Amino acid sequence: MKTRSKAKTAILIVITVILLIFSLFPLFYMIFQSFAPWDQVDKAVVSSRLTLRSYRYLLGGSGTDNAWMWVRSLLNSLIVSLPTAVISVLVGLGVGYSVTKLKFLGRKFIYQSLLFQMFFPVVILLVPRYMMIKPLANHYSGMILPLCISTWAIFMYINYFVTLPNEIFEAAKIDGLGELGIITRIAVPMTKSVTVIVFLSMFMTRWNELMWDMLVAPDIKMQTLNVLISTQFRSMGNFPGPMYAASVLLTLPIIVMFLCASKYFKEGISFMLK
Amino acid sequence: MAEKISQKSRRDNAAGWLLNIPYLAYTLVFFLIPLVWAIWLSTMDWNMMSPDKTFVGFKNFTDLLHNSKAIAAFVNGFRYLIPIVILCFIFGLLLALLISALPEKIKGIVAVLFFIPYLTSGVATSVVIRFFFSYNSAFNIFLRNRLHWDIAWFQNPTTAFWIIVGIIVWKMSGYYALFLLAAIEGISPDVSEAAALDGSVGFHRLIHITLPMILPTLTTVIVLAAGLAFGIYTEPYLLTGGGPNNATTTWLLEIYNTSFTSFKSGSGAAMAIINALQIFVIIQLITWLMNKLNKKYGV
Repeated sequence: MKTRSKAKTAILIVITVILLIFSLFPLFYMIFQSFAPWDQVDKAVVSSRLTLRSYRYLLGGSGTDNAWMWVRSLLNSLIVSLPTAVISVLVGLGVGYSVTKLKFLGRKFIYQSLLFQMFFPVVILLVPRYMMIKPLANHYSGMILPLCISTWAIFMYINYFVTLPNEIFEAAKIDGLGELGIITRIAVPMTKSVTVIVFLSMFMTRWNELMWDMLVAPDIKMQTLNVLISTQFRSMGNFPGPMYAASVLLTLPIIVMFLCASKYFKEGISFMLK
Repeated sequence: MAEKISQKSRRDNAAGWLLNIPYLAYTLVFFLIPLVWAIWLSTMDWNMMSPDKTFVGFKNFTDLLHNSKAIAAFVNGFRYLIPIVILCFIFGLLLALLISALPEKIKGIVAVLFFIPYLTSGVATSVVIRFFFSYNSAFNIFLRNRLHWDIAWFQNPTTAFWIIVGIIVWKMSGYYALFLLAAIEGISPDVSEAAALDGSVGFHRLIHITLPMILPTLTTVIVLAAGLAFGIYTEPYLLTGGGPNNATTTWLLEIYNTSFTSFKSGSGAAMAIINALQIFVIIQLITWLMNKLNKKYGV
């Protein structure tokens, strides 16, 4: 019996490894091509020698009329994504806590409004939002503001706060803790795993946004890395090496961030289902 | 006592509204106003710049019936929906079942590794796919020389379409597997033990125990995948431009082009409304169907 289950486990692991190779192949391919000499890109999965030329081209600032544009776009991505993630967390925390733990007039209304927005296709709002934000075109604020609050993030907090017993918060109130104290000393520490998931997910979603950034920030100095790759995609068609390297710069930071925080995910996913 | 209660509720009211101000302000500015504006816009003929706006009533909507691109986007909504929902469902479930059968120690790390494709930007994958399938890539040279297959992947409507479906399924399966895995792991040990005692194993157990137990999560996954299928934009924008022959176009792509390339804002708004209605009806239909299934087979 024992040897049979061992054999079964071994077979399962082999299947898993084969599937993982398939699943991660595009990423390995991307990484290896980004290190390939320019005459060998796309000629083999792993080229005969590796070089940093593609990365030097992007990060060395050796461009002609738009020197440093790749470095700049990387910074733009960061400047846009970081505040978005922070604002989503703060708003999610505030709304989540108040809707579930405070008996204020209008909490039902806010909950209904959230539900309505959650399932509302945002595409309808695209054209008017663009017209409204046009005066802020090519400004970070115009890129950040319309996408900085997420109903998904708010619901993550609501669903988590619901699972926390009300007594904790009542007791804190009786002990004379103010609302701010309750939030910073009780709500924040208790929702740590949600905060990590919301922060990373919102950061990633914003980092990978294409359409809105393309519309609002067409100026090459304001383009995020995601947009810059898209706009350079066709003209750089004969230089795939740097495009692969740019894709690695776009993808790797997100993957590393999530891998570092993966221990919070197990806890987070199980209540996401509720 | 009464005073205490009113004091408490006053405190709750103040704090509650204060904490919700940012959300309410955002909703007013970036949700309600654009919503009314969009409906108004859909009845207008306006190029977003000139001072002339003409009220055209439902003309923007009826014009869509003669717009081959809009019709293609509508039809493609279903063409994308069906394979993406089915394949995401199958691969997500298979991955979840596989991971749940692995030894406890490596479950977590394997689940995370399968989740990685979800984190990649559609732009980065499009770069890889574009070059990987380009005429002079090692892959295509291999196909030509060894198998005598000469395929222009992005010029052929069928291959172009399936490449985009493949990218989406590749990207999402590991993410959905995470949901399903959590549901499978959440089945109580009592149920699993009872099933084992009854001799319910393998396929029988999957059909009669596991699937009914995780039906609510399956519903979530199917609804999410359906919503996702209507939100495809990046891949056709970068890889095919919606072609060849509109085979890969989507609503988002057409709305973007109509509004911001042809500057027909009214027509773009009308498209967005039709798209939203299509999504709404489909999601309602799927939810209704899954609820019926849940009543019949769920626990």
